[in-house]
Amino acid sequence: MKHNLILRVLSKFLIPLIFLFALYVQFHGDFGPGGGFQAGVIFSAGIILYALVFGTDNARQVIPPKVLRALASLGVLIYACTGVASLLRGGEYLNYSVLGANQIAGQHLGILVIELGVGMTVMSVMLIIFFAFADRARPEQEVE
Amino acid sequence: MDFIIGHYNYWLVIIIMMAGFYTVISQGNLVKKIAGLNIFQVSVFMLYISIGNVKDGAAPIIEQGVELYSNPLPHVLILTAIVVGVATTALGLALVVRIKEAYGSIEEDDIHNQDHSL
Repeated sequence: MKHNLILRVLSKFLIPLIFLFALYVQFHGDFGPGGGFQAGVIFSAGIILYALVFGTDNARQVIPPKVLRALASLGVLIYACTGVASLLRGGEYLNYSVLGANQIAGQHLGILVIELGVGMTVMSVMLIIFFAFADRARPEQEVE
Repeated sequence: MDFIIGHYNYWLVIIIMMAGFYTVISQGNLVKKIAGLNIFQVSVFMLYISIGNVKDGAAPIIEQGVELYSNPLPHVLILTAIVVGVATTALGLALVVRIKEAYGSIEEDDIHNQDHSL
């Protein structure tokens, strides 16, 4: 993809916008439609676009697979720890109401943190799947 | 006639579902089969989401003055189903990759010929 100037310039322009939109969907999720699943997929779509245009090696330098694996499990950990935190503060597991000073603040904080964990996990798992397929194609091309 | 037009969502679902089903059974290419399965899946999503809609209902977000809202339960179910769909698609594609490595082809006829199974 070295010679596709239009693609390269256009994707350089689009990728930041995709990331921005992903963050908007992520953090606007408790006021309107959106949330961690959608934001994670949009965010990973930006990186996948980068990988398609500039090559998977460059994309792997942006986000190394080690970091991706750590992020994928960190998201689940954040989710579980939010539940444990609400247990420790005297509520049920994942009862957000006890997390903040009052019920509404607690609900806002709880869903924000939960969605952050979901977004991280979805983003990194989508990229892990993408890289797993992209790497698979390489040894075969060398044989041909 | 009103009955048919009034239930247009079901007709749309049936058309999409049959298009996906036809793709699954008619295409020999395994990747196209998975694409057909995905189309089939989308029809089920649409069926659930459309029956969760309440006429003149707002989005299910608590707000002053909003009394009537759509049923959020099908949406949440379908959110989970979409995630499961992504996972099954990834698994199916991974199987296709393995089949391509083992047989050198993703056409069903070629694979059957190599196995003498048809």
